[in-house]
Amino acid sequence: MPEIVLTQASAHLRHGSNIGQPLTRRDGVLKVTGAARFAADNHPPGMLYAVLAVSSIARGRVTFLDLQAAKAHPGVVEVMTPANKPLLAEDPDAKTNPFIFRLDVLQNDHVRYANQPIAVVIAETLEAATEGATLLFPRYETEAVRIGLEAGESFIPPGVGIGNPAETHQGDVEAGLAVASRRIDATYETAAQYHNAMEPHAIVAAWDGDSLSIDMPSQGLAMALGRVAGLFGIPPESIHIRSPFLGGGFGSKGLISGPQVLGIMAARLVGRPVKLVLRREQMFGPVGHRAPTRQTVRMGSDSDGALTAIDHHTKTASSTFDDFFEPASDISHTLYASPAISTSHEAVRLDTGTPLFMRAPGEATGSIALESAIDEMAEACGMDPLAFRLKNYAEVEPISGKPFSSKALRDCYAQGAERFGWARRPLASRQMRDDAGLLVGWGMGTATFPALMFQGQARAVVRNDGTGIVETGAHDMGQGASTALAQIAADGLGLDLDQVEFRSGTSDLPDAGIAGGSSHTATAGMAIHSAGADVIARLADLATGDERSPLFGAGNAGVIARRGRLFRRDDESRSESYAEILARAGLAEIEGRGNSAADPAAQSSYAMHAHGAVFAEVKIDPELGQIRATRLVGAFAAGRVINPRLVRSQYYGGMIWGISFALHEHAVMDPRSGRPMNPNLGEYHVPVNADVPSLEAILVEEHDSYVNALGIKGVGEIGITGTAGAVANAVWHATGIRIRQFPITLDRLIEPTP
Amino acid sequence: MYAFDYHKPRSLAEATALLNANPEARLLAGGMTLIPTLKQRLASPSDLVDLGGLPDLAGIFVGDGEVRIGAMTTHATVAHSAEVRAALPALAALAEGIGDPQVRHRGTIGGSISNADPAADYPAGVVGLGATVVTDRREIAADNFFTGMFETALEPGEIVRQVRFPIPEAAGYAKFPNPASRYAVAGVFVARAAGGVRVAVTGAGPSVFRVPEMEAALTASFTPEAIASVLVDADDLNTDLHATAAYRAHLVGVMAARAVTSALES
Repeated sequence: MPEIVLTQASAHLRHGSNIGQPLTRRDGVLKVTGAARFAADNHPPGMLYAVLAVSSIARGRVTFLDLQAAKAHPGVVEVMTPANKPLLAEDPDAKTNPFIFRLDVLQNDHVRYANQPIAVVIAETLEAATEGATLLFPRYETEAVRIGLEAGESFIPPGVGIGNPAETHQGDVEAGLAVASRRIDATYETAAQYHNAMEPHAIVAAWDGDSLSIDMPSQGLAMALGRVAGLFGIPPESIHIRSPFLGGGFGSKGLISGPQVLGIMAARLVGRPVKLVLRREQMFGPVGHRAPTRQTVRMGSDSDGALTAIDHHTKTASSTFDDFFEPASDISHTLYASPAISTSHEAVRLDTGTPLFMRAPGEATGSIALESAIDEMAEACGMDPLAFRLKNYAEVEPISGKPFSSKALRDCYAQGAERFGWARRPLASRQMRDDAGLLVGWGMGTATFPALMFQGQARAVVRNDGTGIVETGAHDMGQGASTALAQIAADGLGLDLDQVEFRSGTSDLPDAGIAGGSSHTATAGMAIHSAGADVIARLADLATGDERSPLFGAGNAGVIARRGRLFRRDDESRSESYAEILARAGLAEIEGRGNSAADPAAQSSYAMHAHGAVFAEVKIDPELGQIRATRLVGAFAAGRVINPRLVRSQYYGGMIWGISFALHEHAVMDPRSGRPMNPNLGEYHVPVNADVPSLEAILVEEHDSYVNALGIKGVGEIGITGTAGAVANAVWHATGIRIRQFPITLDRLIEPTP
Repeated sequence: MYAFDYHKPRSLAEATALLNANPEARLLAGGMTLIPTLKQRLASPSDLVDLGGLPDLAGIFVGDGEVRIGAMTTHATVAHSAEVRAALPALAALAEGIGDPQVRHRGTIGGSISNADPAADYPAGVVGLGATVVTDRREIAADNFFTGMFETALEPGEIVRQVRFPIPEAAGYAKFPNPASRYAVAGVFVARAAGGVRVAVTGAGPSVFRVPEMEAALTASFTPEAIASVLVDADDLNTDLHATAAYRAHLVGVMAARAVTSALES
């Protein structure tokens, strides 16, 4: 039974109501029956199809396009090139804030990466547009490409991630290494990865005068609105974006992409609605990726296994024309206690699209190196990897000295290890075989991700029929946000879920903040919660100030909201329904507003992170080097869990990505042409069902009074961290061979022939 | 896809006439490689001559110490044929492991060997068993049929009608499949017959090839241990996205041993 407690308590105290229930996704039936209308399913009357022509070179200039041939093809309406594109109000190469990334929208004939759009063909049918794009037969002036971490001049980036310093030093690392009795110095490499959401980037754009209607998958409606308004010089109120469903995003739909802007430009050019959908191979370029890294980790410990120093250095890459530097080393700031910690980054500029946020940007990449290094350090100390981690357990955040707002990592270690059976693990490698003769290995990793919040707003209404409406422009990427947030909405209004209409996924609603940084439930949820509390407070004011109400005079005692009624806190026999309160006041409805933002005071006092422990079993065919991840157990503590079913599902998704990171994903770039050589899901491997073992995710209880009033941390990204390293460490434990290049390939597990 | 004219002849003579009249015509069997190639515009034939209308080209006959398979017989038909499974189970198993169900129900043995993909399974079976390829104009011994990467001894306009496999004493096929395509990263077909042992490797090199050192060792002793010390030279093998030449050379040894084990168990 939902209820709200109107007290000054900093945390939301209600348990066992809508919040905490393992509901299935509310849009599940729509999705399995095909009734859910994704962006590219929209076909407004008169719509044309736009197809990108993309560059087959990575650096140079387009010198010729056979426009005549393309335009002559039956059905082709127009070919958009730098020569005839609609003018933009803003330079797409202008960099006005850290969340603005430069776009390739035909501003000139330059090519700065392979698969960059160089023209858009607009036609009556998809087939005609596709054929028209082929008939362009572009010619180029080609320059030598810079591909790979050895290309180009290395430099220290001005910042990494979004505004993090490239270098951070705490204590004297060299001194710590000097006094260490055990040391490791290891270099790990991670491959370039592309997000590859199942749903490609798509847009359906329709202009009506200077008003613009857009169907487009988005993880950040408000930012997209601002970007489109700026580029086209129209007020945000003239733009309406609908994004009710996403077929995955993983960060690549956080910002509107160049191809989507081209769809809007194409619609402007031809004066008709236009649909543009990327082909799979076109997603390897203009819509972001995770840059490759080479990470060197040096560690030292004393004879008891206590760390004396951690030095984590990352070399990574951005594009030649914009800045995003994967903050991989920063993972070492928060996990393991050490008197000296040093992190640093360097980078090169490559002829690729600009790397962007990709699920756990920095954390995923850094975690596989850090967790491998910790495993190597434990081995050097002759210690069990779990015992070594407990020995170096951080009671306060190592880099800052701040206490944690909450940290149930010990419970995660204990529950995960118990469930997995870790205590039976032999210390040495290559000790276990199964009945079929396969090598068996067990590895572990620690998971972590910061508990972030952005700013968000929400609106809540209670109507005189006793039902409610809650609105916020939240994004359901498939993670189930519209279900979890509806649970918070119902809880906040003290109504049953079916009495509340939850509206989200369009740009005309209050800004819910970006669905990124594992922050969406916290950000949008807190705004919703606050809006609900605002409505209840207004209802309480009406009732307690009205002598005709049974709640008259209860102002000091307070009221609680439950199942559409307010109850006097100290005498629950006295209550009144929302409908009665509104009827007596002569109101059709009552509206409340809510905001959310991180609390700067709490943030300056506490380190806020979710944690977890992941245990992995792999089986390896010693003759083939073929690796199967056969069992994964993760135990995660991330504050309050709104919907255990959805949270578990998020952990599973992250853990599967961890398998992918360690064993599968690898964008192979041709160093001569600069083209991705495997831009398809046949050759860019991601785990399929056969690759995914028995998965278990344990939800470890954790209460956090500081992250936000609901106590919510994020769960979207943490599952990748820890898992990738656990799998890699299990490979070592199975074989005795330490592979430091990811993904691990089979050939490197074959013992060299003597 | 470029435009082309489509023909479905009802007789070999009609097919041959179409090919003779159109020098840029191509034969269409199951289309499992040709159609994707057309879609990607990597080929632009003027005409497609579909062999699917020639009933004589499909079918299986077992007898006289042979398994004869018509060129247009699908992989699934071979895999599920009770006669093939009884007489030459290794060949049925090979067919069962090709691609995915869609490919197995469209793709044909004649199309597979005429295309001569370096990672296709059938070339290993054809060479490993010392089969004979029967065309509309001659018989070609397996050892002379595959001449290079996507290259065969077939002349322009020559049509494969049937493949005749002698039934061996024992045979086995083992491959390491690409996890996505199920093409052989390396596949080895081993057959023991009165004349000795044949070992044919697909997937590892530019074209199917035999391994005389393994054949000699296995003729002396048909056990996996007999070839444990035979090393395959990586120099002539393929390196690509999926595997290095050195790893393929290693795989050939492992798959050969597994093929022998399979032959001994059958």
